Amino acid sequence: MGSTLLEATGLCKAFGPTQALAEVGLHLHAGEVVAVLGENGAGKSTLIKILSGVYIADAGAMRLLDEPYEPATPADAVQAGVAAVFQEPTFFPQLSVLENVFAGRQPRSRFGNVQWTAMLREGRELFTELGLSPALLDRRMEQLSLGHQQLVLIARALHLEARVLILDEPTSILTENDATKLFALVEQFTGGGGGVLYITHRFGELAQVADRIVVLKDGRKVGEGAASELSEQQVIHLMSGRHIEQAEAMAQGKRGAADAAPLLTVQGLTVEGAFSDVNLTVSRGEIVGLYGLIGAGRTEIALSLFGQLHPSAGTVTLDGRPYAPRSSRAAMAAGVAYVPEDRKTQGLYPLMDTGANLSTAVLDRVSQGGFVHRSKERTLVRRFVESLGIKTRDPGESILNLSGGSQQKVLLARWLATEPKLLILDEPTRGIDVGTKTEIHRLIFGLAEQGFGVLVISSELPELLVLSDHVHVVRDGRMVADFRRGDATSHAVLEATMGYTGADV
Amino acid sequence: MSSSTTTAGRDTAVGQRSGIAGRLQWRAMAIYVFVLGEMIVFSVLSANFLTAANLGNIALNAADLALIAAGMTLVIILGGIDVAVGSVLGLLALISGTATLAGVNPWLIVVLAVVLGTAIGALHGLIVTKGMVSPIIATIGLLAVWRAVHFSLWGGSDLFAPPISLLLVERFAGIPGVAFLVLVVYGGLAYVMRFRSFGRNVYAIGNDAEAARLAGIRVTRTTIGAFALLGGLVGVAALVFMSRTGVIQAYSGQGLELAVIAAVVVGGTSITGGRGAILGTLGGVVFVAVLQNGVVLLGVPPLWNGLLLGAFILLAVSIDAIVNRRAARRERAL
Repeated sequence: MGSTLLEATGLCKAFGPTQALAEVGLHLHAGEVVAVLGENGAGKSTLIKILSGVYIADAGAMRLLDEPYEPATPADAVQAGVAAVFQEPTFFPQLSVLENVFAGRQPRSRFGNVQWTAMLREGRELFTELGLSPALLDRRMEQLSLGHQQLVLIARALHLEARVLILDEPTSILTENDATKLFALVEQFTGGGGGVLYITHRFGELAQVADRIVVLKDGRKVGEGAASELSEQQVIHLMSGRHIEQAEAMAQGKRGAADAAPLLTVQGLTVEGAFSDVNLTVSRGEIVGLYGLIGAGRTEIALSLFGQLHPSAGTVTLDGRPYAPRSSRAAMAAGVAYVPEDRKTQGLYPLMDTGANLSTAVLDRVSQGGFVHRSKERTLVRRFVESLGIKTRDPGESILNLSGGSQQKVLLARWLATEPKLLILDEPTRGIDVGTKTEIHRLIFGLAEQGFGVLVISSELPELLVLSDHVHVVRDGRMVADFRRGDATSHAVLEATMGYTGADV
Repeated sequence: MSSSTTTAGRDTAVGQRSGIAGRLQWRAMAIYVFVLGEMIVFSVLSANFLTAANLGNIALNAADLALIAAGMTLVIILGGIDVAVGSVLGLLALISGTATLAGVNPWLIVVLAVVLGTAIGALHGLIVTKGMVSPIIATIGLLAVWRAVHFSLWGGSDLFAPPISLLLVERFAGIPGVAFLVLVVYGGLAYVMRFRSFGRNVYAIGNDAEAARLAGIRVTRTTIGAFALLGGLVGVAALVFMSRTGVIQAYSGQGLELAVIAAVVVGGTSITGGRGAILGTLGGVVFVAVLQNGVVLLGVPPLWNGLLLGAFILLAVSIDAIVNRRAARRERAL
């Protein structure tokens, strides 16, 4: 093993009440590929964002090539020789691939002119060297597939003469062919003395790529070892095993799924390019969970049930009647409510008060002849503020003054007010502190108790396991496994999520 | 420009096709087809249109518009906009006119107008970047502010000032001198946008300011630079305006921003930034100037002038939006 390239000790980072990273240490040698594994929310992204200068750690120290390394901006990190390609890449869609590779550091003549011919020659050399088609250089970035965009960004990073390359789930959107190209790039890079930090969810490629594995859980490093020595079983064991005790107690009290006829039946549902052949049922009083990695197609399934994506195949029935909403209005009219995953951009009206945020979906029910009946609206708002325990002094208070948990409850109330039969909750507790999480869990149990059908999407496996009577696992747009309450252990679900087949490494 | 002289012809062809200037040329150049069509229509409808005198008039009358539109193209490609250019032009014309009447050396006035304009532009850029006010909001406010300053300096009666230089308004072989200045500015800026890293960075910022920051591009500095450049050109335009009209009124320059933005947008620059070309704007300026001139020649009431201009802005912006949405849909389908 070569000399130490990058060394981090005691890295900590908190976001509000959430400790995203606690006392994490890491080292990377020249010529080495270190894979970082962990569940969603284990702290992988936070770690690499600190290493690449996007976040600044609350505590801890980093050294690069035996020099102190304190990047304040991504540009600092790049300057020092640390390049990162993120899962949601940033690039210039309307510029050519060539310009994307060279943005910010085009070859220039003595007089400062951009030398297009030299740039093109360099770009060609780079692409040929990396086994990419030089013809790509000429195309606009937005015309490339996601996989090719990713490869271009890696090429850009390599051209920066980086010593450390950080790849955040690079293969999750790559085809097999592109992935092979990527592995070749990685090998070439480490062969030249570079080190790679590799975030992945795919066990299949660990043996192929990684020299060493680091496992994170709840922001802490829980295991580390040579890739050849750690079995998949051991890694999964290290990743899993979190508990949410209070909610578990609540789940004990919950009756089994109602035996009534299914409320929602989905058969063979397919949306081109997002997911295919999805089957699931939700009964009244049942909580059904959808688990999968971000980008696996969970949210798209929800959006298609809410009329936002139009399926190309499959049938859906709601309450025994065919259900094929063409718009969110149609979905609402049929009795489906969707609480979106991103509160800030898809839910809240930041400039309006709490009451207005709550009543927006049912204004016509509290209006007469086009005029909002203020007292009726107030009654409605008050009812939900009380029943959901929304902490606000007064419905006239700005929604931004409320805590994340109360904001989430307001959004929940907004949709409950439409008197739906089926509630779809996408990441209902994201960014909410632990105490309020429990309250939201209690609310969800209560709703099921009242006879709502509930479909929950969550990246937090422990939460989903506790809430759901039935968990479906989505991987690459397909339903790959389902578990009844009791059979669903985090171990089993994670195995299904990552495509573990039972064969040892 | 390139130090490489060994490049094969094929390479040069690809080199020119790659990158904005090559690839998007057709989009920017489409405007010239419209210009041609427009000129044919007006030639048929009016015998006075296609005469050397009239074409010279168009060139002279459109010169200040052309200068400002060149700078505005940069600002819009960068993802910004400056709607205060009309007010600033009025103010700078007033100051320059007053100085001319006071007998100040014309060279000094030129320097004064350009420096003042650049400073005002830089201030706009500073407010947009450091003050983090959205460009449209900030410059709507500044539009009112500069007009108010103009009023307070304006003596209560129209100011009649002689041209700063006769070279600007005199015609050489029927072409007004200022047209040469305009062509030099457009040639220079087209060069900057393609061959200077400043120009490439302007495109990058308009595509995605965050990605540009991550790529180590100095976003604040480039943005202020683009606004300052626009301001400097407004200064030059003010001198041209003063020289060709000879009079500065309380409302000089009012509404100019509309024609400028129209010229930029019909010239193929995306109003949301990231894409566009200087030479497309030149076509857009000619289109707007010919439209304004032709409408007058046909004796259409001036009211219709605004209607036509507005309609063409709407058309250009809608086409832009539709093209972008198509592209986005295609991307999503991948």
